Amino acid sequence: MIFKLAWRNIITRPLSSGLSVVLLCSSIMVIVLSMLTMKQMKSKFNENANKIDLVVGSKGSRLQSVLCNVFHIDYPNGNIKLKEVDFLFKHPFVKSAIPISLGDSYKKYRIIGTNSNFINQLYNGSISKGNIFNKPLEVVIGANVAAKLKLEIGDSFNGSHGIEESTHDHEDFPYRVVGILSPTGEIIDQLIITSLESVWQVHPHNDKKGSFDLKTAEEHDHHSHDHKTEVSENNREVTAVLVNYNSPRAKFSIPGIVNQKNALMGAEPAIEIKQLLDLIEPAVNVIYVLSLFIFGLSLFSIVVTLLNSMKDRKYEISMMRVGGASVRLIFISIILEGFFIGLIGSISGLILGHSIMGIMARFLNLKYNYQFSGLVFDGLELVLLFVTILIGMIAAIFPAIAAYRLDISKTLKNKI
Amino acid sequence: MLDYIIGLNQKELIRTNNISVKYGEIDIKFPNINLDYGGQLLIIGKSGSGKTSLLNILGGLLSPQTGNVLVNDTDLFSLSNNKRDNFRGQQIGFVFQTPHFIKSLSVNDNLKFSQYMSSKVNQSKIDMLLKKVKLNHLKNASIQNLSEGEKQRISIIRALVNQPSIIFADEPTSALDDNSCNNVVDLLTNLSQENNTTLVIVTHDKRIKDKFPNQISLNDF
Repeated sequence: MIFKLAWRNIITRPLSSGLSVVLLCSSIMVIVLSMLTMKQMKSKFNENANKIDLVVGSKGSRLQSVLCNVFHIDYPNGNIKLKEVDFLFKHPFVKSAIPISLGDSYKKYRIIGTNSNFINQLYNGSISKGNIFNKPLEVVIGANVAAKLKLEIGDSFNGSHGIEESTHDHEDFPYRVVGILSPTGEIIDQLIITSLESVWQVHPHNDKKGSFDLKTAEEHDHHSHDHKTEVSENNREVTAVLVNYNSPRAKFSIPGIVNQKNALMGAEPAIEIKQLLDLIEPAVNVIYVLSLFIFGLSLFSIVVTLLNSMKDRKYEISMMRVGGASVRLIFISIILEGFFIGLIGSISGLILGHSIMGIMARFLNLKYNYQFSGLVFDGLELVLLFVTILIGMIAAIFPAIAAYRLDISKTLKNKI
Repeated sequence: MLDYIIGLNQKELIRTNNISVKYGEIDIKFPNINLDYGGQLLIIGKSGSGKTSLLNILGGLLSPQTGNVLVNDTDLFSLSNNKRDNFRGQQIGFVFQTPHFIKSLSVNDNLKFSQYMSSKVNQSKIDMLLKKVKLNHLKNASIQNLSEGEKQRISIIRALVNQPSIIFADEPTSALDDNSCNNVVDLLTNLSQENNTTLVIVTHDKRIKDKFPNQISLNDF
């Protein structure tokens, strides 16, 4: 009965109770949204950064090199001669060195030239349909690419130069789908993977640094291709080599060797991503502080709402006391109102936060090439739920004390 | 100090001894009252004579300056606040001039809450009383949709749903027209008799003076 009374007292004052609930819900929603975005971003970034010990690419921004070659969300610094990095493939401290070559895309999905180790070793990917590529211009596509572009084994398409939609298609070099990967939830779901030879065949004059400049796709002179020209072995280029060590000592020697070379630069994904997250974190903290401010406002609103409600209900409360309700019972009923406001506000905030995360995930998936989800949960959300309910109840203490101190005799004398 | 002994040769329900209240410089002393089970008493007096204060003292809502009140041999003001609240819920019903209810609850839930506070939930008792006052069709109505007359009848039922030993009614007819006044008094007297409940009414309403043989006039003090 006491629960029913507290509940009815809230729902019969929809405006004032609603304001408190909306404020609580908004602040919880922002907190949950920031928490889930950061959690998933950190987890995906760290997970992938830890897959690769060193990215060897051309000189430029280290962060850009990592973002482009590991996360596939930025443009390449330029290309490097394959012969310059030849030593990496033979170095005793190197467990694996996987070359990748970027340059083209198909409907915004990047085409990566590499070898089968990229799929098997780096991402533990497996072919769900068809086979791995064996010849130039054969491609294996990620699960999302297949689903979104409705591509099947045997389908052909022409790659476009650059990452953005381009009017410039490599019409003479149609790619053919020979395999579709099983979904992994990782970046390869969003990639079109082919052999290095495919890229060299489509871009035979890649002996100039920056010839794969993805930002200047429009400037790319299609007619300058000499399609019959084979790239000589000495002039073969790649965008980067993804290196994994087999010895802890490699960490202290290989980056040094790489960076001593004029054309090369080594970037350690773990370090670069930590620096990136350190850069983002203060902005996220500002959002947290703002949401805590709204949270504080909502608690203030609960106090004001319940205090006003006590003024309206002082005759009701007096009548309850006259009817035998103890001050403890009345105290509990008001604390329960704070409990319900806290419960509704926090649960609706959690649901809204996850729903918005689910909607945002669609855009983030395209932007960051990772599967973000609204169905990821964090243990801190439970803590948030309990803390909000607790604070809702604490906020109700002041109005409850006001009711506790109500002089029934005086109230009745004044009005009844 | 005069003693008023109103009894039906049954067990004593209320006994007061030298009670008084003080408002600023003014001391109001009340007569000693002995009231048996099932009795009916009218306390009349002008405004400011202390009628409501006396009722509040008898109901354990206001502590007297001096003296004590025994209800069913229990000294009301020797009890802790919680115990006194509980005792009031079990033994005493109140009817006021302006009936107030819990606005967020329906008629039935208001009556049920009254029983809940004294741990005597009994839906059939509520249904029976609602039927008696011909308001059973309003059982699930919102309190806010009732007329003043309907509210007053519901407040009388509320005073009775716990089957209390005594009902205190404070100016229950003052705001009513003659017809409604007679109806409310008849309802109070009949229902309290049927439920073997003692009835004490305080009022300055002279219209009901002739209906009660047992009276105390506070104007004499």
